[in-house]
Amino acid sequence: MEPDTVFATLLAQIRDVVPELGAHAFARSDSMADLGVNSIERSEVLLLTLDALGLKVSPIAFHGARNIGELSDLIHAKLAA
Amino acid sequence: MSSVGIEALGVYGGAAYVDVQELCAHRGLDIQRFENLMMREKSVALPCEDPVSFAVNAARPLVDRLSESERDRIEMIVTCTESGIDFGKSLSTYVHAHLGLQKACRLFEVKQACYSGTAGLQMAVNFILSGTAPGAKALVIATDISRFALADKGAIEEWAYSEPSSGAGAVAMLVSDAPHLFRIDVGAHGNHAFEVMDTCRPGPDTEAGDADLSLMAYLECCEHAFRDYARRVEGADFRDTFHYLAFHTPFGGMVKGAHRHLMRRLCKAASSDIEADFTRRMAASLVYGQRVGNTAGASVFLALAGIIDTADIGGPQRVGLFSYGSGCCSEFFSGVVPVDAPGRLKDAGIAAGLDRRYRLSMGEYDAILGSTETVRFGTRDTQLLPETMPGIGNGVGGTPRLVLEAIAGYHRKYRWI
Repeated sequence: MEPDTVFATLLAQIRDVVPELGAHAFARSDSMADLGVNSIERSEVLLLTLDALGLKVSPIAFHGARNIGELSDLIHAKLAA
Repeated sequence: MSSVGIEALGVYGGAAYVDVQELCAHRGLDIQRFENLMMREKSVALPCEDPVSFAVNAARPLVDRLSESERDRIEMIVTCTESGIDFGKSLSTYVHAHLGLQKACRLFEVKQACYSGTAGLQMAVNFILSGTAPGAKALVIATDISRFALADKGAIEEWAYSEPSSGAGAVAMLVSDAPHLFRIDVGAHGNHAFEVMDTCRPGPDTEAGDADLSLMAYLECCEHAFRDYARRVEGADFRDTFHYLAFHTPFGGMVKGAHRHLMRRLCKAASSDIEADFTRRMAASLVYGQRVGNTAGASVFLALAGIIDTADIGGPQRVGLFSYGSGCCSEFFSGVVPVDAPGRLKDAGIAAGLDRRYRLSMGEYDAILGSTETVRFGTRDTQLLPETMPGIGNGVGGTPRLVLEAIAGYHRKYRWI
């Protein structure tokens, strides 16, 4: 799977969980926390993204990403592993 | 199959509380951000209150209601806590003494963060089921307070994330072969556990951790503990098997998020169905937690008490419980609330006890946090003046309240007032 596809899937879940960000122009350097996405919503975004990509890995494996670009890269690396 | 479970239950939510919204405003926290806590009040342990006094005050009313012959069948006391006061001597020794119970009794303490209460309950349940002491009863008390050393402004800022939700409270449960309040589904349980550094108490008055990691671990655990439950219990279905659900409640929003996760993952439910299901099956579980804050080991049982006290118990109702303790260990288990349980639990007067608490002003609250009177872990000698503390004279509904009065040579001295 292409890295861009993973990133697009992640953005789709963010927009699903936080509809207020529907019109936001996301950059890889955006952090969900800085955009006002609360901790429960952040967890949900990650779990939905893993579901959408069919990735059966503990969400804890993706802890530590500082922005959505890094998170997307971590997910992509797991998919490729 | 043998009948076992909770015969009687008592709750102690402290002598004083603060309003969470007022606290957020006082600390300059974004109120919007904290709305997802779904919290209204949090109990505050006064300097003359500790995990022992909380435990005894929770248990005393239910012990008083027993006949002498029933009291003498209490053969095990398990205290469950992450707020211990000594590395060796367990809280249960003090609890046993101040409840005046007979001496042929096992006394010990268990720890696994907020999972401790469930560990203690399951230990007691299996003691009763073993049949090695027919007719015996066990007293399980989950008791926790959050008291951190807020020495300076920096410490307060560091604590800002968890301060509004960190509460104090104890739930005492009499476990026996006469489960008037909650009959355990014997053998119906599921576990999920793994090592993770999400939150911990590395020092006597400090808490450390990563909130996001803890949320993830909680969500992973609730799904997989239920899957393990379903593996053992034929036909178990998250949506249909349980009339009500009671989860460990760090704050209401966490429970709501976990319920949504399970409904999506296990039941493929639509968003509108999830909201309605949450209100129907879980709203009652939050009524007391919203008033005391996170009570750690006690919170899942406080949630159960909320269901028995405020939900519609028109017939025997099966309740699914989820317990999570950072670090981490978790369990999903279940039992049945009999139709006459609400009438029996009324005697505990839980809501009235919370109503009697004193509302601290922000000035009084900050004074308590910074007080030199606050007893720290390892204190050798001190003298307290309980009568001077706000709210301590409000009573515990007709029964006296136990308070910590002094420490002499590490030995804690308590007094009924």
